[in-house]
Amino acid sequence: MTWLDGTLPRNVRLGDNTVITGPDAFKRFHTQQDPGLVIGANCTMDLTHFSFQPDGLVEIGDWCVFASVVLMCEERITIGNHVAIGWNSYVMDSDFHPMEPVQRLADALACSPLGVAAGLERPAIPTKPVVIEDDVWIGPGCMIFKGVRIGAGSFIEPGSILTTDVPPRSRVVGNPAQVVGSV
Amino acid sequence: MALPRRLPWDWYDGLVPESAILDDECHVESSYQFLLDRSQPPHGVRVHRGASVHGLTAFDLGPHGVLTFGAFSITNGAQFICDDEITIGSGSMVGWNTVVMDSRRVPVDPDARRAVLERVPVAEPRRLLGEVETAPVRIGSNAYIGFDVMVMPGVTVGDGAVVGSRSVVWNDVEPHTVVVGNPARIVRRLSADPAALVPTPDGPRAYDEVLSRGLDAGGEFLPRT
Repeated sequence: MTWLDGTLPRNVRLGDNTVITGPDAFKRFHTQQDPGLVIGANCTMDLTHFSFQPDGLVEIGDWCVFASVVLMCEERITIGNHVAIGWNSYVMDSDFHPMEPVQRLADALACSPLGVAAGLERPAIPTKPVVIEDDVWIGPGCMIFKGVRIGAGSFIEPGSILTTDVPPRSRVVGNPAQVVGSV
Repeated sequence: MALPRRLPWDWYDGLVPESAILDDECHVESSYQFLLDRSQPPHGVRVHRGASVHGLTAFDLGPHGVLTFGAFSITNGAQFICDDEITIGSGSMVGWNTVVMDSRRVPVDPDARRAVLERVPVAEPRRLLGEVETAPVRIGSNAYIGFDVMVMPGVTVGDGAVVGSRSVVWNDVEPHTVVVGNPARIVRRLSADPAALVPTPDGPRAYDEVLSRGLDAGGEFLPRT
């Protein structure tokens, strides 16, 4: 139960025999929740980025294997047991900036160095929890967007972009991802 | 050059593994690229003459993987998941965050996949062992693979083809075509004069001869796709 490349933040809970590697794992770990990240036992998290905003909470089950995954969490991401995620995939529970143009411009200004100095407030940005159920495989180069629930056992082929829910034991391909069969 | 060796220009404090065969006139930026390489001789990474492999390119080879970079090919920041055979032809280019895989490394069946995942924490090194069917990937000569592309197991990309960024390549790509999308589809056909002379470090060569014979100095050429 360790992070091999640094000191684990205090609000991270790891189960037995879980290993995290990569110097940048917690570079953008800004969550104030305690715990902010819970990972079960026997997980292998190689070169994964835990990029969480102050209210973010991510829970991951046992026996998961992630390679070079970016988890971007503003609210909540829940991942089950036996979930494997491949290279360069992203899981996010927010759009990070508003869709509506006036709000988005206000957000850009609030995020700028001068906006921060002037105390400009960011507009509200919708978030929606992501749930990845047990036994899901997500291939390399996938994106899982806010509000998506992936049903247990599903097989997400490389390069898929998921914007809607996926029923259990589905084989999923494409942008936007479509169910093309069952497993 | 078959022993573990240090690259004189390396920014990472590591060694190139014994399994790698690097031409004296190639450029491999760092031993960091071999961090995930578990290949055992006679398998391993082969980098031919004049080829360069830059940046955070990752050679993720299983014990029996053979990953070949053809002469004068240029690769930057791509990932190769190789449990079988991946070949990049002469003068081809592969862009950042492109993943070329000859295996998905996990079974499609969730129950079988669970068993594979439970073997990871006790594996040495601690990695997915790739116990599923593999299919070799061949990228021809003078092909251009853009950024963030996924090349799926079993695919052959023809000579002179261009694969647009973010494409997912499920099917073979015809020579001298441009493909984009998921699944990648032809959007354009390219033409090349087979007799056109291409300047090379060894003097001018006919385009067709470069494609058929590669750009190695000796008699050992990569197979044409």
